[in-house]
Amino acid sequence: MTVNPKNKLLVSLISLFILWVLIALISIFVGTYDINPLQALLSGDELSKTIYFKIRIPRIIMATIAGGTLAIAGAALQALFRNPLASPFTLGISGGASLGALVVIRSGLAHGLLGFSTVSISAFVFSIITIFFVYSISKVRGVVATGRLLLAGVVANFVYSALILFMQFFSDFTQPLHTMRWIMGSLDIVGFDTVWKTALFATPGCVILLSLTKDMNLLSLGNDVAASLGVDVERMEKKIYFATSLAASAVISVTGPIGFVGLITPHILRMILGVDNRIIVPCSFLLGASFLTATDTISRTILSPIEIPVGIITASFGGAFFLWLLMKTKKEVIV
Amino acid sequence: MKNIIEGKDIRFSYDGTEVIKGVDISISQGRMIGLLGANGVGKSTLLKILCGILNIKSGKLFFEEKELRHISNRDTAKRIAYIPQNSTFDFPFTVSEVVNMGRAPYLGRFEFENEKDMQISFQAMQKVGIEHLKDRLITEISGGERQLTSIARALAQEPEIMILDEPVTFLDLKHKSKIMEILNNLKNQKTLTIISATHDIYASLYYFDEIIVLKDGIIFAEGSSDEILREDILSSAYGIKVNVRKEHGRTFVIPSV
Repeated sequence: MTVNPKNKLLVSLISLFILWVLIALISIFVGTYDINPLQALLSGDELSKTIYFKIRIPRIIMATIAGGTLAIAGAALQALFRNPLASPFTLGISGGASLGALVVIRSGLAHGLLGFSTVSISAFVFSIITIFFVYSISKVRGVVATGRLLLAGVVANFVYSALILFMQFFSDFTQPLHTMRWIMGSLDIVGFDTVWKTALFATPGCVILLSLTKDMNLLSLGNDVAASLGVDVERMEKKIYFATSLAASAVISVTGPIGFVGLITPHILRMILGVDNRIIVPCSFLLGASFLTATDTISRTILSPIEIPVGIITASFGGAFFLWLLMKTKKEVIV
Repeated sequence: MKNIIEGKDIRFSYDGTEVIKGVDISISQGRMIGLLGANGVGKSTLLKILCGILNIKSGKLFFEEKELRHISNRDTAKRIAYIPQNSTFDFPFTVSEVVNMGRAPYLGRFEFENEKDMQISFQAMQKVGIEHLKDRLITEISGGERQLTSIARALAQEPEIMILDEPVTFLDLKHKSKIMEILNNLKNQKTLTIISATHDIYASLYYFDEIIVLKDGIIFAEGSSDEILREDILSSAYGIKVNVRKEHGRTFVIPSV
């Protein structure tokens, strides 16, 4: 019995949405400061109000936007490169965006430019340059070579983290947490301002990617067949470059490079739902959002009252997950 | 019979090197055309031009009296289907998912295939005899079954022309004959025009109504298989001495090395 893909998408979206709601609820209720949000609202206590409405809730929404966006970007890059190991993190795009953001912040050029933050613009420019670099390096006679793709990503990551560390070395030593952010990523934000600014760019990026899912499927049949089925391949590739850079850099210029969300999320979904991008890409948003909300909750409660950068948690999960994947598929060639 | 494809002085270059050097071609509806020629003479390029994957810079190409470049990509995809020599499948889609992709030109950006689309895809699978494979993963079936899946996908496009680039080159004898038989049946239903590049001289003898021989980017010879399978033409086209013998009413082509 073949399941209609449309029904499959609806059922998956509803299930994942319920998962996200549950995780978000748990996340609101737990934390170093132990008071429930209803009490906070009713008691009129300023401190609890601040904690809930300036810190905890904005942070959950930020985790949702960041996790969802990075996961969609990962799924889209995997379709573009026709390789399940592509993601903003593994290809060095996250590192590029972080460096771009940091350069502007450290050089004191961070300000608004016609309503756009120069930090975001710089992050966007660095990430789009990185995609071009990795793509042109890894493409041999029209085909993306997996080895070259991953090595190009490794090269980009090394260069960017060297530059980030170099800049940190010569900067203010009183800001150790900020140093961590540009290396490991963190969702430590205050207030809704940052959330809206991120959503402003992440949303159009995600919408563009969601509009290309059918063509992403066709692309997996090869460029020529995709073209013969009506896809303007070159134009589509450019759209994916642009949209992933826009969405991912909007997130990363705030959070720093949070790894593995973009890599693992589509992987897990494919293991359960198959490989149809019309299902995988939209579902990636909800699962990525749930995953990052959950890991962020862990990051701020596991060593309470100390907060550890969420990137450490995601990287630990990511490492464990891929180790399990490697053990499980020992006899097979994954890529 | 009317011409479904009409090309005049078609030229095409890759990075400044001219590969197709002025081809005049006319293909009438409902025929099965074989494209012969040595490796690298531009067969694949010409096929990609005919199905609109590559755009010509000079010359004219008409599809049913309308210039191909004035027909949108999607409309072209509803009329001309393309099957490469060796289809790549990077992700483990199921066979039915791949065949359903043939319906893509008929769907809007956010639209999913409906019952009718799925029925068309299923019939396409039945025509090539792979309906029992529909839930198998494309990465786990044999090369011959993959090529049959590609043909079913192309049929799901409900095209008027099917263009194939050496569809049987990598296949065993059984799948080779099976695919040629399927193409022959499709042609006999009078609705489909088939253009296929091939290195299989014997297939050319039995199946193709007309053979076009390409050499150095131009059409070197064209005609029926009897007219084309001659020692002088084949020797010149492939650049080696070829003997053609007729015994017991059958033609044998033997390269002399």
